[in-house]
Amino acid sequence: MDFGSLAFLIVALPVLAFVLTLAFGNRLPNGGGHIPIVAIAMSFIISVLIFLQIYPNHGTVEQSAHWFSVLNVGIFIDPLAIVMLMMVTFVSLLIHIYALGYMSHDPGQTRYFAETALFTAAMLGVVLADNILQFFIAWELVGLCSYLLIGFWFRKPSAAAAAKKAFLTTRVGDVLFLAGIVILYFNMYTHVLPVVGGHETVYLLQFKTIFENLTLIPTDQLTIITLLFFGGAVGKSGQFPLHVWLPDAMEGPTTVSALIHAATMVTAGVYLVARTFPMFIAAPESLIIVALVGGFTALFASTMGLVMNDIKRVLAFSTISQLGYMMMGLGVGAIIGAEAVGFAMFHLINHAFFKACLFLCAGSVIHAVGTNDLREMGGLFGKMKITATTMLISSLALAGIGIPVSIGAIKLGTSGFVSKDAIILEGAYSYFAHGGVYGSLIFFFGVAAALLTSIYTFRLWFMAFTGKPRQERHAHEAPSTMTGPLIILATLALVFGALTFSPFIHYLETTYENEFFEEIDPNGYIHGLAERAGYHIPEHPIVHLDLAHDTLIMMLPVIAGLLGLAISWAIYHKRMFSVASIGNMRNPLFRILAKRYYQHEIFIELISLKFTYGVLALTSEFSDRKIVDGTIDAISSFFIGGAEVLKKIQTGVVQNYATATVLGVALIALVLSWGVI
Amino acid sequence: MDSVLSLILFIPLIGAALTLFTKTRESARMIALISSAVPLILTVIIYLQFNSGLAFLKFQFVEKISWISTLGINYHLGVDGVSMPLILLNAILCPLTIIYAWGENKQPNQFFALILVLQAGVFGVFMALDFFLFYIFWELTLIPLYFLISIWGGPNKDYAAIKFFIYTHVASLVMLLGIFALYFSTGVNTFEIPVLLQAFAGITSPEMRVAIFLALFFGFLVKMPTVPFHTWLPDAHVEAPTAGSVLLAGVLLKMGGYGLFRVLLPMIDGLGPYRSDIITLMAVLAVVSILYATFAALAQKDLKKMVAYSSVAHMGYVMLGAAAFNFMSVSGAMFQQFSHGLITAVLFMSVGVIQHSVHTRIISDLGGLADRMPKLAFLMMAGFMASLGLPAMSGFVAEFLVLTGSYLTLPVFALLAMVGIVATAGYHLWAMQRAMFGSYNEKLGEPHDLAFYEMIPMAILVLLIIFFGVYPAPVMDVFEYASTIIPGVM
Repeated sequence: MDFGSLAFLIVALPVLAFVLTLAFGNRLPNGGGHIPIVAIAMSFIISVLIFLQIYPNHGTVEQSAHWFSVLNVGIFIDPLAIVMLMMVTFVSLLIHIYALGYMSHDPGQTRYFAETALFTAAMLGVVLADNILQFFIAWELVGLCSYLLIGFWFRKPSAAAAAKKAFLTTRVGDVLFLAGIVILYFNMYTHVLPVVGGHETVYLLQFKTIFENLTLIPTDQLTIITLLFFGGAVGKSGQFPLHVWLPDAMEGPTTVSALIHAATMVTAGVYLVARTFPMFIAAPESLIIVALVGGFTALFASTMGLVMNDIKRVLAFSTISQLGYMMMGLGVGAIIGAEAVGFAMFHLINHAFFKACLFLCAGSVIHAVGTNDLREMGGLFGKMKITATTMLISSLALAGIGIPVSIGAIKLGTSGFVSKDAIILEGAYSYFAHGGVYGSLIFFFGVAAALLTSIYTFRLWFMAFTGKPRQERHAHEAPSTMTGPLIILATLALVFGALTFSPFIHYLETTYENEFFEEIDPNGYIHGLAERAGYHIPEHPIVHLDLAHDTLIMMLPVIAGLLGLAISWAIYHKRMFSVASIGNMRNPLFRILAKRYYQHEIFIELISLKFTYGVLALTSEFSDRKIVDGTIDAISSFFIGGAEVLKKIQTGVVQNYATATVLGVALIALVLSWGVI
Repeated sequence: MDSVLSLILFIPLIGAALTLFTKTRESARMIALISSAVPLILTVIIYLQFNSGLAFLKFQFVEKISWISTLGINYHLGVDGVSMPLILLNAILCPLTIIYAWGENKQPNQFFALILVLQAGVFGVFMALDFFLFYIFWELTLIPLYFLISIWGGPNKDYAAIKFFIYTHVASLVMLLGIFALYFSTGVNTFEIPVLLQAFAGITSPEMRVAIFLALFFGFLVKMPTVPFHTWLPDAHVEAPTAGSVLLAGVLLKMGGYGLFRVLLPMIDGLGPYRSDIITLMAVLAVVSILYATFAALAQKDLKKMVAYSSVAHMGYVMLGAAAFNFMSVSGAMFQQFSHGLITAVLFMSVGVIQHSVHTRIISDLGGLADRMPKLAFLMMAGFMASLGLPAMSGFVAEFLVLTGSYLTLPVFALLAMVGIVATAGYHLWAMQRAMFGSYNEKLGEPHDLAFYEMIPMAILVLLIIFFGVYPAPVMDVFEYASTIIPGVM
């Protein structure tokens, strides 16, 4: 049986679940939460079946149908898409199961499950899209669902504000993305259509059509387009400077945070760059910017993670930082070619496992102690052993703890270690070694962020689970619908990276190295694009480090991770020294971190309120009332005043009126006939 | 089927007369509903039989009766791809508006009769193939709306009604001058629209051609309306009853856009040396409308006024698409008309429910309404999302085509128009946040959620918005063909 023909069900089932839950959920137990669980489980099974079918011969699934005008709808599943499909359906499924318990006391759980089903469907729509417009449509629906779910508790003013902030901030990116699509269409229309035109079936926005004809588009145009696309990714994936919505997105239920951070939203931006990667290869300046923004974001976000006291906010900054690593991994593609996609996607998948686990653990903790504030937690280890252990494992993964040796194909380390190490060493270091001018900077960003990541991760864990309890409330372990997903995710966070590293990278490489791309350029598609753009991707781009010779380089990320662990252990567990002397608002450095670099003041107060509302909107409104409409009123009062005078000639004598009418008509006729003559 | 257009046109008029003489609210609204439902059924039937593949200025379901033969004036009706979907829009919106106004108890017989007259007038504008007839229907639409505002309107209704009437009437007179000038300067002795359009390029003086174009253009500009000739609209909306607002924004404004496509675009190639200046003028007006009205909407304190400004901004897309003058942008602009008609109806209905329920529309006085009015919150959210251009809803299809098409010929203007997209999302969401979310403002009393007769039309509209957003082809194909055959469109 050809499972590819079932691919549409991957999206259709969660959409159906959305409709059914909305319609009947109120009459079912758990607000109908079982409907999306069954639907997403089936989507997961179909994804796995398709994977098993296409994996052996690196096949693809392609379907396309006319939509309207010059546009189509379609499905495109290649290695890149299928790993995303499996991850999204699987993680989303676990989060849905967990939510059965977590949301069981919420009166709005029907709405919750309907919206999360739609959220999952929209994300799957992003992954499956075979053209950039359909990608954008699903991408926007992801934004809608995040808006609805962040504002799920809409009676809370802070939740309503956070939802709006998320939507508007990502909307800035979306407009850039849309502009990129518009400009791409223009280029396809002017440069590509004349070459390939004439066929009814040519859809200019289809990924394969774009990839096939990339060399026809001028490089400077591609640079603009890819930068605009990246702008979209910056918004969605919380990169600097559009990351500001993500920490506030904590206002929704914790399970929503888990969905947003792991499966259904922020990864969309990384996926966008990976999906359109050939365009970025053909526009190397954009790739450098991707790498720099990614690297900077990784470090920048981790500095703020150090001082947050809200458990979910710490995790939010860690997500921003980890997404920065992924972008960095993609950005080094300018040197290492298509393998960059593999590294970034591998980190994306691993991150999904450990970040979902971390959020669900945080949810479990919040559920138990009734607060988000780390300062009010402590000593929970004894009371919540499963949560504490799974959270420790996923923290080790986030901090990237491991040993840089491998036994056969197995890497010794947590999944976060394996993938982050690959980005820093095989990615950033190779970039550096091949003389990429920004290589050293990116490498520095990567290592420094690794240190800070480890510090804040274990700070969180020690503050929550060790020491003396700082409140009286009796905490207890969560029910099994909640701990089950934790155990599964923690297991994956521990071993997935170690077991699957090389097959994963090799499989992902075939995304842009298969028969289709060989036909376009027999000498190597990605390499060919690079040559055309004026640079060279080496034959064997990855610098293979040897532990004996490059000990320091290879150990650097690990040392950073362990050092961070030690620092946190000393400060937050052993309390060897107190940070109160530097960790207070009198310290300008601390203040700037705690105030999150004054982004709220800049974005909300300066740009939104002062400029957009205070200047643009109020000026428009004032000019409309006083100037534009004022002119109209002035004209009308002129006539009314004139009429007061003229009404004196209203003699009431019909003959006078008749004379005036005749004269008037004659005048009009005269004026008009001037045109004829 | 020979006189189906006349049936669609006159059934509401006959219904209006009957409604006027009813004694009870129940019989008035029932007769009104039937008189607007029958044209809907007939319209759907002819829509299904409609063949969009005819040549330029070839019409279907044509009826032609000589009327004033010495002047060459005929009762001449017919439809093509430019008008057919708009007739459908008008046929859909009026019965839904009547259902929505089911609870009207102030002189319901007159109220529903005026709605039916309005519907007939708009049908006439979209069907008329004779400029004289076109003008009569164009003016006919003013009268019912004038009375709807001045009898059922808010506290400042007299000012708004007279402003609406005089402003748009003056514009109509300028348009009439343009029609006469076209009639006399072509010398064809007929008011037939197709004949005059084809004769337009034959006028020898290019200045005369531009003058005629501008006179007609002014009439359409004010109707759409385009900044800076838009200030009658917010005032009219603020004072008008909800049903009046729905039809004003839903179908009356569309007459202005229809004029662009029916009359002006076929003339553009005949403008000779002034062609590019005129296109630039249109593009500037379009972008100014989009940005200016968007920022003005952001500053509004009255929810209904905000929605009114959003109409001005959305109609700016119609102008932009027309100015860009390629099949993608023009068909997008036509679709924007259709789509905006559906979307704005939901918005005005939502605002009407709020006004009716808590007796204020001032955004800062509202708060937390979603808590007490969840059905309204759901449908209003859908309408707002459609209005801010969310994909999978009809507005996105239109705006995407307009922007993509406009970039092909007017790249700078297309990019400028995009600047407004974030602010558009901004005022919609900000209003939602302040009016609907947060804790409920107890000062507003105990509001009731949507009545059944309010929910039905809003839900139908939302479903239509989603349907045409997911599958625009039934309407889009018609518009697309209609725009490809306009002479000069690339």
